[in-house]
Amino acid sequence: MSGDLRPVPDRTIDAAGVPEPAARGRAAAVPPLSDDTRLAVAIRSFVENGQMDEAREQFSELVTQHQRRASRIAYQYLRDAAEADEAVQDAFVKVFSHITSYREAWPFEVWFTRILINGCLDRRKAQMRRDRWMAGAEVSSADEARVSAAHPGDDPEHRLLARERRARIASAIDRLDGRQRTVFMLSHYGDCTPREISAMTGLKESTVRVHLFRAVRKLRGLLGARS
Amino acid sequence: MKALEALSRHVQDERLLDACLAVRQGERPDPPVAEHLADCATCRVRYEELVQVLDLVRQEGETEADAIFTPERLRQQQMQIARRIEHVGRAARVISFPGRFVRRTMTASATPSASRWVAAAAAAGLFIGAALGASYGWGARGGYDLANDRRMTPVATRGTAPGEVAADDAFLSELELALERPHTRELRAFDALTPHVREIRDSQ
Repeated sequence: MSGDLRPVPDRTIDAAGVPEPAARGRAAAVPPLSDDTRLAVAIRSFVENGQMDEAREQFSELVTQHQRRASRIAYQYLRDAAEADEAVQDAFVKVFSHITSYREAWPFEVWFTRILINGCLDRRKAQMRRDRWMAGAEVSSADEARVSAAHPGDDPEHRLLARERRARIASAIDRLDGRQRTVFMLSHYGDCTPREISAMTGLKESTVRVHLFRAVRKLRGLLGARS
Repeated sequence: MKALEALSRHVQDERLLDACLAVRQGERPDPPVAEHLADCATCRVRYEELVQVLDLVRQEGETEADAIFTPERLRQQQMQIARRIEHVGRAARVISFPGRFVRRTMTASATPSASRWVAAAAAAGLFIGAALGASYGWGARGGYDLANDRRMTPVATRGTAPGEVAADDAFLSELELALERPHTRELRAFDALTPHVREIRDSQ
């Protein structure tokens, strides 16, 4: 799939998300550790010392910090609440299982998001394959009902317009090239800087900027042309 | 000529986007760009339009996701994660096989005559069952109606259980691999003529 952003093994981060030596060198000027990175390091120490209960307790704090952002990213990727929920859970479980391979050379957020988007890409691939061969269940209508129920005060016309606007934006994002979509989502829903996206995807920072620019230009064209 | 020069000095779209992203990250945009935006009304309008589009996309996406992932749902998600990581790092528990029970059962059924009687009774039951089935079951229905047996009708729907989905994925992967092989290339013309479930559904 064109959207598969898994880098070649020697570029940035390995399958478990561990930065490769070259990437470690690039990250020499990393600012002081963020709170979540410190927490991840503490959890790693607990796991290495066999203090699993303490590790689990600390990990729940890490989950609380990241799950909303993770759910937003996963939902925008998959457009299916149940799939997004599972993708987020899988990412956290994988993080906990491989916490001993985490290195603080990169912020925890970068490592975690990397694992999350890989999971989302796998799921999206499977989703597309299912859609190609099977009649899919209409899950988006249930999600849409939840969104409408979240704004009970809105009049039906307003709700309808909002729904159309969301559908238009989702369709426009879906029409982006795979890499453009990933870069755009990480930037706009994940609040990641081009440098962080570069670390997550293994793309060069300048390439990330080009993808981002093209994605925005295409989106403006698609959204502007229909409105 | 002066107008052309002025146009060429306008901020490029790429740099406008960079400025926009920098502001969003709480950083200062590139000083020359910031100065130009302060002086040039055209570029300021372009910048504001860009910000507007990006804000709309972001706001709609976040509103939608937050409406689905309510605090309650996030709490459930967290509990689910806690349950799933509960056994990570713990050695698998080996359940001892109930040896005493097995020994007793084996002793009880070890008598040769008893096992012979059990085998004979099972064979007789099987024979009677098959005979009754042949005389009543098939006769009453007037033959086996393959077309009306719903179990045999292939219904292509998405599996819901995780195991089912994984099995579906494995099957579809094999199917796609099979289609890629050279010896099935000849069948693609037939495939193109065959209506797909999705196409039928879409046309309805």
